Amino acid sequence: MIYFLRHETKHEYGHKVDVAAHLLHLTPLQLPWQRVLQMHLHVEPEPSRLVTEVDCFGNATTWLFLDAPHAQFQAVLEARVEVAPRVPPAPAATQAWEDIAATVRAGGPAGHRAAEFTFASPMVAPFAAVHDYVRPSFAAGMPVFTAIHALTLRIKREFAFRTDVTEVGTPLAKVLAQRAGVCQDFSHLMIAGLRSMGLPARYASGYIRTRPPPGGKPLCGADQSHAWVSCWLGAEHGWIDFDPTNALVVSDEHVVLAYGRDFADVSPVSGVILGGGTQKIQSGVDLTEISP
Amino acid sequence: MPPRDELLDDKGRLRGPWRRMLGTLLGLGTEALRERRAEIDRALADIGAPAVFARQEAAHWRCDPIPLLLTETEFGDLTARLAQRATVIEHMLADLYGPRRLLDLGVLPPALVYASPFYLHALRGAAVPRQMGLYAADVLRAPDGTWRVVADRTAAAAGLAYVLENRRVMARVLPELFRHLDVAEVRPFFDAWADRLQHLAQAGQDAPGLALLTPGHEDARWFEHVMLARALGLAVVEDDDLTVRDGALWVKSLRGLQRVHVLLRRQDGRHTDPLELHDAAVAHSGTPGLLHAMRNGTVQVLNAPSSDFAEAPALAAFLPQIARALLGEDLSLASVPTYWLGDPGQRAAALTDPETIILRNALDGNAPGRPWQLMSQAGRAAALAEIGAHGERYAATMVPPASAAPCTGEGDTLEPRGLVVRLFLIADGQGWRALPGGLARVLGEGDIPTGPLPREALSKDVWVLREEGDIVGGGGNLAAPALPIRRVAGDLPSRVADNFYWFGRYLERLDNISRLTRTLLARLARGAPLPHEVPEIATLSACLAEAGVLNQEHLTEKLDYSLAQLLAAAITGDAGPFARMILRVQGLADRLRDRLSGEMHQSIRHSLRSLKGARMALRGGRRVEAGLLMDFCGRCLEFSATVAGYAAENMVRGGGRLFLDLGRRVERAQAVANHLRHALDQPPVRIEAGLALALELCDSTITYRSRYLNVVQPAPVLDLVLSDDGNPRGLGYQLTQARMLLAVLGGGEDAELALLLDPLAAETRLIVADLVAASDQADAAAAMMPRLHAIETELAALSDAITSRYFTLLPMRATGQMVLA
Repeated sequence: MIYFLRHETKHEYGHKVDVAAHLLHLTPLQLPWQRVLQMHLHVEPEPSRLVTEVDCFGNATTWLFLDAPHAQFQAVLEARVEVAPRVPPAPAATQAWEDIAATVRAGGPAGHRAAEFTFASPMVAPFAAVHDYVRPSFAAGMPVFTAIHALTLRIKREFAFRTDVTEVGTPLAKVLAQRAGVCQDFSHLMIAGLRSMGLPARYASGYIRTRPPPGGKPLCGADQSHAWVSCWLGAEHGWIDFDPTNALVVSDEHVVLAYGRDFADVSPVSGVILGGGTQKIQSGVDLTEISP
Repeated sequence: MPPRDELLDDKGRLRGPWRRMLGTLLGLGTEALRERRAEIDRALADIGAPAVFARQEAAHWRCDPIPLLLTETEFGDLTARLAQRATVIEHMLADLYGPRRLLDLGVLPPALVYASPFYLHALRGAAVPRQMGLYAADVLRAPDGTWRVVADRTAAAAGLAYVLENRRVMARVLPELFRHLDVAEVRPFFDAWADRLQHLAQAGQDAPGLALLTPGHEDARWFEHVMLARALGLAVVEDDDLTVRDGALWVKSLRGLQRVHVLLRRQDGRHTDPLELHDAAVAHSGTPGLLHAMRNGTVQVLNAPSSDFAEAPALAAFLPQIARALLGEDLSLASVPTYWLGDPGQRAAALTDPETIILRNALDGNAPGRPWQLMSQAGRAAALAEIGAHGERYAATMVPPASAAPCTGEGDTLEPRGLVVRLFLIADGQGWRALPGGLARVLGEGDIPTGPLPREALSKDVWVLREEGDIVGGGGNLAAPALPIRRVAGDLPSRVADNFYWFGRYLERLDNISRLTRTLLARLARGAPLPHEVPEIATLSACLAEAGVLNQEHLTEKLDYSLAQLLAAAITGDAGPFARMILRVQGLADRLRDRLSGEMHQSIRHSLRSLKGARMALRGGRRVEAGLLMDFCGRCLEFSATVAGYAAENMVRGGGRLFLDLGRRVERAQAVANHLRHALDQPPVRIEAGLALALELCDSTITYRSRYLNVVQPAPVLDLVLSDDGNPRGLGYQLTQARMLLAVLGGGEDAELALLLDPLAAETRLIVADLVAASDQADAAAAMMPRLHAIETELAALSDAITSRYFTLLPMRATGQMVLA
C-alpha cells in the first residue's frame, strides 16, 4: 500500500515572535514494514538553522532555529510512504503475560531495552485506578497477545471518542473517570495500565488513513495526528501495535512517525518562542492511498 | 564497637598534631576561647550568608574553632581511593548514557536506571566529553578505623564556598593555631580548577567564555554560587541571561551576544532545557536548546545535567560489581552497607535487623532518610507494606557510628561529636585532584548523616597537615595563563544592568521622598503656618502625592487628621512608602551582591538594617515627634549619599556603575522637573514663594544667594535649577550627565539614545531665554507649566527607550500543542 501524506502545522501570533526554536518529530520512520519513498519538509519562514538528529529512541528529529521576527510559522510535511501489511502472531503462540513481565523485570540482555518502557514517564505514571481498570483483562496465565487485544477492544467499547472533553494536559485519572477522550488519552491510559501490570508499552505517534477503503468503515482520528500503543510481546515477536481508538491490531492503515515513552517524547511540533502575544495553532492531516 | 575517637591513634594514644593544636587552643584560656568562637560567628554572619538564604536573620552557617586534623598520609590514601571511585562513577555514567553494557550484562537492574527522574533520555547517545568535572563524597570513619562513603555527590556538590570562608575566618581569628601546624592551603585548588576551566574554554577560536549557571537569587544556595564564581573568576548567569543561537550557547550582554564555552552548572539537571526536558517545561526553567548545543559540542556543561543520576543511594549496593565490570578493578573505597530493596535477597538482608537501617529513596540522593528507630509502629507497618509493593523505590543504609572529635559545647566544655566529612575532587586533565581540606559537618543529637547539607549547621574546617612540607595533591604551581585585559561595559549581562539601573532609580526615589517629607515636616513643625507658608505646604503636598507618599484625596478632602500624622504613618507603616522603598533597595542590593565589593555590600546591608531599626523605633509612641521623623528622613538622605559615595570611590567606572548613575540621573531629572512644575503652579503674585521653594528642594538656595543675593526672580532661578549644567541638583546637570553616560554605553557607534537628550537640554535653555525676554517674568513663569510637563513626559519616554534598548529580557515560553484526534 502506498500513501500520500500531507501534514500541515501553522502557528499565527498576535505580535511578532523575535526568536523561536522548534523541535520536530516529523519524519516517518524507516521500518521493516514501512518505507519512506519520498519526503519533503517545507518550513516558513526560512530557519536560520536547521539540523537533523536521531533521538535516543531512534526517531529522526529536526531542529529549527528562527532568529528573524515573524508573525507566523508553518511546517508542511509531504511524503510518499509504502506500508506492508503486518501479520500479528497467533495469540496462543505468545507467552503468558506474567512471563513477559518477569523477563523485563529481570533486565539483562533479554529484556532491558523493552524494560525502559515499563516505568513512569513524563506524561504517563501508573496509578491504582488504572491498574484496577485493566486488571480484569489479565487472567492468570493468559497469552499476552490475547490479554492486550481484549484490553484494546474494551477501551473502544467503554470509552466515548469525543474531541471536546480533553486537551493535551488532561490528567489520566479524569479521562478514566469520564470514560471519554481522544486517541492520545486512550493511548496514554492503555500505556499506564499495561505498565501497571509490569508490561512494556510505547507511545506511537503517526497517522491513520483518512478515507476507508471501498466498503470499509470510517476510522476515528483520521484528519489529525494520530496515536496508538506499541506493546512488547517478548523477544520472539517483538513490538506489536494496537490502536485502542479504533479497536485494531495495526496492519497497513497506519503510518508511524515516532515511538517514545509518551507524547512528551515525540510531540510532532513543539517549541519555545520569544514574544508573540496570543497564539493560534492549526493543523491538518491527509493520508490518502495512491496505489494498493 | 564504640565510635572511634579522632584524637587517638590505634594504640589509644593522643595523636601529636592534636596535642599541639589543643594545647595552643586551650592555652588561650576559657574566656578567650569563648570570645574567639563568638568572633567566628560574627565574621560568618557578616558575610551575609543568612541574609541571602532567607529574609529571616536567624539561621546562619557556623564554624567550630576546633578544626578536624588529618595527616597528609591518611588524607592522601583516602583521596586516592575516592579518585578511583570517581573514575568508576564517570565510567558508569558514560556507559549508561552510551552502550548500556551494565544493563546488557545484568549488572544493574532496569528499575534503577529507567525509573530515575534524573536519568535524562535526551542526553543518551550524546557525545559528551565528560560527565563530571567535580566530584564530592560524604564520608565518615567507622569504628574499625576505615573510611566509608555515605553519599556520592555528582550533580553540583554544595559546600566549596564554605570551605573557603571557614578557612579565611579561621586564619583571621585563630592565627596562633596555624603557627604550630603546617596546614595545606586550600586556595591553590581553586586556582587549579580555574585554570582547568579556562583551558577547556580555550578549545575554540573565540575569546574563552565561562560562566556559572545559578537558578537565581531566590535559590537557597545562591550565596554559595556567587562566592564560588568569584573564587573561580566566572560570570554568574541565570536562565534568562542565556540563549542558544546557531547551535551554540550565548550570554545576552549589553554589547550583544557573547559565546559561552564552559558552563559550571549549579542548577538541577532536570531543569536545564524546557525544549527537551518535560520537568523543565513544567517548571518554566532552563535554556531552550542547551542540550542541543551540548550535543553539538559547542559548550561543555560541568557537571553534565545527566550526571545527577549517579547520586541515587541504591547505586552504592552495585558499585563494587560496576567497578569490576567496567574497570576490572575492585572498588577501593566502600560505601556504608547499602541494600536495594527491589532485590529479594538484598531486601531480606536489610530487614533481618531493621533497627539499624535508614530507609532512603532509591533514586533521589537529596530526599531525607528515615531511620527505622525513629519510626512509629504504624509508620513501620506502612513502610513494610510499601516496600512489599514497590521495593524497587527504596534503599536501606546501615550507617555505623561516625568517629568523634571535640567540639566547643554550650558552656566552656569540650564535647565529642560525630562527624561526616565532605571532600571534593576535580578532574584536572591528568586525573582527579583533591581539595586538601573539606567540610566536616558536626552531627547533633538525632541528626541523620544522609541527605543534603543543612542550611543551619555547625561545621568544622578540615586541615590536612603536611609532614614533609609538600603541597598535598601535587601540582598547583602551574603558571596560570595571562588573562586578556578587559575594560568594557559590554560584558555585563542585561539582567544585571537592569538591576543596577533600578537600584539607582530607587535610591534616588528614596532620596526624593525623604527630602520632600523632611521639608514639609519642617514647615508643619513651626505651628500654625504663616500666610506665605500655605502655598508652600500645598506645593510640597502635591509633590508628595505624585511621589506616592500622600494620596490625592488627602489634598482635596477636609481632613480629620493632620498632614503631620499622615507623614508619620507614611514613615512608620510597614506597608508605607518608606518601608516599601527600603525593601526594594535592599532586594536589589542583594541581587547585585555578586557585582558589589564585599565591603560595599556589607556597608549597604548594615545601613539598611539600621534604617529599618530606626523606623521600627519610631513606631512605639502614639504621637511621634516631628523632630524624630525629620531625623529619620535625614538618615535616609545620608544612606543614599553614602551609597553614591561608595559607588564613586569604589566601583570601577564602567558596566554596573554606569547604569547605577544613569538610573539616578533619570530619576532625579524627573523629580526636578516635577517639583518645578508644582512650584510654579501659583498665582503670579505668589510666584516668588514657589521659586524659593524650588531652590530649597534643589538644595540650591546658598548658590543662588551667592549669585543673586536675596532677589528672587523667575529667570535666574530657572536658569540655576533648570538649565545650568554645573548645578549637581539641577535638571541641566542630570541631562548632561545622562547624555554622557548613554554616549559611553553606546560606545561611539550607538548614539541614538544619547541624541534623545539634546532637544531636552535645548528646551531648558529656551525656557530660560523666553523668561528673560518676557515683559512680565512672573506671568511667563506660570505659563511654563505645560512645557515642564512635556519634559517629564519626554523623560519617561527616555526611560522606556533605555529599557527596550538594554534590558528587554522576556523569557521564552512554550508554543501551544495541537490536540490530537
